[in-house]
Amino acid sequence: MSSKAVIQKKICMLGGFAVGKTSLVKRFVSGQFSEKYHTTIGVKIDQKTQCVDDTEMLLVLWDVYGEDDFQKVRASYLHGSAGYLLVVDGTRKETLDIARQLHTLAVQSMGAVPYVLVINKHDLRESWQVDPKMYEDLASNACLVLQSSAKTGEGVESAFNELAKQLLKA
Amino acid sequence: MAPPSRPSLPNSPSEISLEDSKGFSYLRRLLLQPEQTELERLKGRLEDFTLQPHDVSRVLPDAIRLRAQQDSRLLTSMIPITQEALSLSIKQSPQLISDSIAPILGPAIRKAIARAMRGMVQSLNQTLEYSMSWKGLQWRWEAFRTGKSFAEVVLLHTLRFRVEQVFLIHKKTGLLLNHVVAEGISGQGEEVISGMLTAIQDFVRDSFGQKQDDGLESLRIGDLTVWIEQGSGAILAGVIRGAPPIELREVFQETLETIHAQFSELLQVFKGDVGAFEETRLPLEDCLQAQFEKKSKGFPLAFWILLGLLILGLGIWVFQARSDQKQWAQLLERIGQEPGLVVTSIQEEGPPTIFYGLRDPLATDPEQILSEFGYSSKQAVFHLKPFMDLTPEFVEKRAYAVLQPPSSADFRWQATHLSVGGHAPHAWITQANLLGPLLPGVMSFETNGMFGTEDLERFDTLRARLERLSVNFLVGGSALTKGEKTIISKVSEILESFDKQALLLGLNPQVQVLGFTDPRGSRDANLELSTARAKNVVQALPTNSFRALKVEAIGKGVTRSAEIEGLPIGGRRAVFRVVRPQGNLLESHK
Repeated sequence: MSSKAVIQKKICMLGGFAVGKTSLVKRFVSGQFSEKYHTTIGVKIDQKTQCVDDTEMLLVLWDVYGEDDFQKVRASYLHGSAGYLLVVDGTRKETLDIARQLHTLAVQSMGAVPYVLVINKHDLRESWQVDPKMYEDLASNACLVLQSSAKTGEGVESAFNELAKQLLKA
Repeated sequence: MAPPSRPSLPNSPSEISLEDSKGFSYLRRLLLQPEQTELERLKGRLEDFTLQPHDVSRVLPDAIRLRAQQDSRLLTSMIPITQEALSLSIKQSPQLISDSIAPILGPAIRKAIARAMRGMVQSLNQTLEYSMSWKGLQWRWEAFRTGKSFAEVVLLHTLRFRVEQVFLIHKKTGLLLNHVVAEGISGQGEEVISGMLTAIQDFVRDSFGQKQDDGLESLRIGDLTVWIEQGSGAILAGVIRGAPPIELREVFQETLETIHAQFSELLQVFKGDVGAFEETRLPLEDCLQAQFEKKSKGFPLAFWILLGLLILGLGIWVFQARSDQKQWAQLLERIGQEPGLVVTSIQEEGPPTIFYGLRDPLATDPEQILSEFGYSSKQAVFHLKPFMDLTPEFVEKRAYAVLQPPSSADFRWQATHLSVGGHAPHAWITQANLLGPLLPGVMSFETNGMFGTEDLERFDTLRARLERLSVNFLVGGSALTKGEKTIISKVSEILESFDKQALLLGLNPQVQVLGFTDPRGSRDANLELSTARAKNVVQALPTNSFRALKVEAIGKGVTRSAEIEGLPIGGRRAVFRVVRPQGNLLESHK
């Protein structure tokens, strides 16, 4: 085995379509961002070694396709996940509803595992449609709520790092 | 009538009298004595809360088990303690640890070495087999063209199947538990592959509504096949190049079963700690099998060339060995037959071979024999002690070596009897007579037949002096003139010495006195005159006193030619010639 880390964790990226899950993963794993939009079909898997409290962890990131009217997220992809990032597009308040549905699905298939609520696209603050009151219910159980931007990198590292920390504790 | 008196209940605690209080205490003791005792015991324990080892020992095993089921914090906190304890234990009693792990380590090492050797030998066989053939040359060109190694190209062309990678995947999370690769294959992103394989399985299963235990069994991508075996807690996926035999499935299944049997508990509680599955490496490596095509069409050209070279080499070697053997045998025979050399034992453990024995100092040097046969002291050495060889050959050699005779001396052997003939200086003869009888192996020695060289020289000198003299006569006369009588007395003196010398040498020389005339007158008259002249000379000599010499007078008439060396034709004279023994004695005795 190539990885030096002996602790591995499966993390799912959950959220509606085009909320920026793939971009967040790309920014986190390779530090890059692309304006081009690619819809994810099925699931895309990436990995990154993260050092948390002197412990090396290998995060295996399951970038699950964004849920919309045409394709529903399959619960089987969520099985065995140690935690997840629930991603909301701050410029589209309807993605909050999808996030709620996915959160319910996640709890059903994984149980109450740690998750981080990420309100993405903070670089487009002027066209923001959501405010904290609107996602109080989702935030109440989240181990961290933060605003992020895959484009500028804001909050990306913190989101994954906090989740990794929680997973190490669990 | 007044109601009976009874203790009235106090209205407030302050109203309780001392008497009431005693009664109450009594009543309380009466009613609650056992409970109170128990309460006081419990109170005592709570106030003095120190855990007793006995209490801990009762709950410890269950406590550990329960805690380990909850999370991994107990395990995490025990890691440093266990590591330190183990480290200390190894330092203090390494033998104990060594003995404990030996039963596991030995078979594991043997297995790993056997696997590595098998792979290496197989790869070497393949490469060697094809390295010299026509096909091999084509492949070499291909390797050059594509930048691959020759061994890799051979492998690709001769491979029937080869398991290149094996993944052990946790079924529930899709996380990679362990991963092994065949030699020369480099794994890349195996964690991602592991996740994708799981995702694909989930997708297929969901799409076709299959049960959880069902799943993909194989995938095919070009020349690669991925065989997947499902277990309750883990999945085994093997990436195979070529066409695998069905028996390989059984190998995969057995491996997965073995892993489940050994790790079922860990698989159930798996929370991402893949280190615990490192021990699955050996069974997984057993799945890295391979099979190559066997060559059926005879042997390659290289084989025949190599075989030919081998036979040729063997032939040369055998020939060389045989001729070496023959040469050695000849050397041994020669040494065995060499006079003056006796080999008593041979030590052949060498090189060098050591010869022990005896050697007469006059025998041939054994080193010289060695070099004659092309050997040196690296191959053979001689440890020989000196001795004296009494065979006739060595007795004679020794006689020559000791006596050092001049070339004129003649050794004559009759068995062990040595007589010396010829001539030698008197001093040598004297020395030889002293040493000769002492020579080992010589029973008798004599020099009676020898002449002293000095005696022969004197004989020859006298003879030469005599033959240089001549007596001259007057014309027609045969009488000795007065002047010639001086010559006669000189001749007489020489002849007397000559006679003595002849006597000494045991000779009877014959001396002729030859008379000559000048050409005038008749032949008969001249013959008569010459005879008269010779006779007159002889008569003038003291012949009666000679004991060995015999002197005769001969008339020769006119000297016709150079009949007598040194004489002019027609001389009126008489000369002296020694006719017996003929010639120079020294020369004739050489």
